[in-house]
Amino acid sequence: MTESWRRIRAVAANTFLEAVRQKVFAVLLIFALVLLGGANYFSEFSYQEQFKFLKDWGYATISLTGLLVGLLGAAQLIPAEIERRTILTALCRPLRRWEFLAGKYLGLVSLLGVMLGLMGAVFWGVLRWKEAQLIGTEGGELTVVQAIQAEARDPRLWQAFALIAAKLFVVCGLAVLFSTLATSTTFVVAMTLMVYLIGHLQSVAREQWLESGERAGWALQFFLAGVALMVPDFNLYNLIDEIVAGNAVRWRTTIEVLAYSGMYVGVLLAAAAWLFEGRDL
Amino acid sequence: MSTAVWTQSLRKEFQLGWGRGRVLAVEGLDLEVKRGEVFGLLGPNGSGKSTAMKMILGLLRPTSGRAEVCGCRAGTLAARRQIGFLPENPYFPAFLNGTELIRYYGRLSGMGGQELEGKVQELLALVRLGGEAGRRPLRTYSKGMLQRAGLAGALVSDPEIVMLDEPTAGVDPAGSREIRDLIRELKQRGKTVIFSSHLLEQVEDVADRVIILHRGQKLREGRLDALLTQTGEWQVRAKGLGADQQKELRVWLQQRGAEVIQEGAPRERLENYFLRSLSEKDRP
Repeated sequence: MTESWRRIRAVAANTFLEAVRQKVFAVLLIFALVLLGGANYFSEFSYQEQFKFLKDWGYATISLTGLLVGLLGAAQLIPAEIERRTILTALCRPLRRWEFLAGKYLGLVSLLGVMLGLMGAVFWGVLRWKEAQLIGTEGGELTVVQAIQAEARDPRLWQAFALIAAKLFVVCGLAVLFSTLATSTTFVVAMTLMVYLIGHLQSVAREQWLESGERAGWALQFFLAGVALMVPDFNLYNLIDEIVAGNAVRWRTTIEVLAYSGMYVGVLLAAAAWLFEGRDL
Repeated sequence: MSTAVWTQSLRKEFQLGWGRGRVLAVEGLDLEVKRGEVFGLLGPNGSGKSTAMKMILGLLRPTSGRAEVCGCRAGTLAARRQIGFLPENPYFPAFLNGTELIRYYGRLSGMGGQELEGKVQELLALVRLGGEAGRRPLRTYSKGMLQRAGLAGALVSDPEIVMLDEPTAGVDPAGSREIRDLIRELKQRGKTVIFSSHLLEQVEDVADRVIILHRGQKLREGRLDALLTQTGEWQVRAKGLGADQQKELRVWLQQRGAEVIQEGAPRERLENYFLRSLSEKDRP
């Protein structure tokens, strides 16, 4: 193991440990698990509708909880370290600034990974529980049993899960970038949330920019180009809705979105490292 | 003796932003600290002590000028490997305990395995935080204990130079004495210690050489002996003299043309009296 990796791992482990020892994340997780478990009690519809509702509810819960964890975790990144001056005792050591940032990002992503894993396991358990319940009440015929099992064990759910994780990892990348510019935790959370929301309009801005030509004024063109080129396209992750609706989404498309996310995270972290390198502490 | 820290014409200006101008924190600072010295940076609040230290550590970039640590440009990894640092009023990650803090700083310095564990235990003993104290969360520590834990964290990678920014600020007299004793011990171990303070009596106790800063500029620099010794006077402390003998001595001195500036029973320093009054078991 190289010294550099050892240092990155130390920062990541510390970031993860700090989050784990804070009650807010445990409360969020418990709240999400209760929401996921409680979804099983909606049973007034047909079995197809029940599964659709369950998936809709489950992914919305996982996605929203993940976003809150990402934003709250981001608030603790660089600005909180500067406010508490703990950053001084870290960066005066033989630790490169990009290593510190990479460790912070990995720590936050590890926290999200563990929380997504726990929520995913509970969601999977709820789906299997629903499967057993419905087979008991409606599963007289073999075709019905097979249809219920197909809904509960749909492999496309993994695609949706991977897409949620990728979307949240991009949000964490944005948070790291803003935390290198900020002096307050509120700024980081507000900016990350704002870009996340604007990201859902990125495709509209891109189309307008490409199609507007000479008609739009330079100021509008500049704005549209800025949004189109600099803000990640969060509409790409709407594939999750397609999967929940029962539509087929090719793995190739999913992998392309995952690759786009990976590339975007790389760009965000590189920009964050460049900005952080010149910052006075 | 070779040079541990060297600066030349070091200058730092801070931009206030939004067109509010600039603040000059350090101006043309020339400095040379030899290896093995205990070097004091003195000055009132806002005199540029912490800024100068941060430039040597690479936490702040100089506006102009140069700084080197053991021959390496300040701020480089090679330079930072040589330095352990304890900032003023340090706020350590409160969710860690004392042992975890030292281990974390060791890992940040690239250490690991048995080497790190051995060093952690050695330092816990050195700063008297072994046993149960080392397992307590940092948020339950007194200010003195926090400073000692921070000092252990600064020493974990066995640096050549230890920089302490106001190490005794806000610490009670007993804690302050312990930190000064630790500084002396570090000197005995051959370390270079650079520390800042505005508590002059405490600096006098431990520093070999000092520099006095004011508004970012160097006012004075030199060995304490050379700066403070009043060569035109002579002082004797004696015991066992009765009142008649004291009078005789005074007359004898006056007959030889000496002016008696001060006489009488010496007073003990309040700090010494206070510390003597505390029994060991009452100390925090």
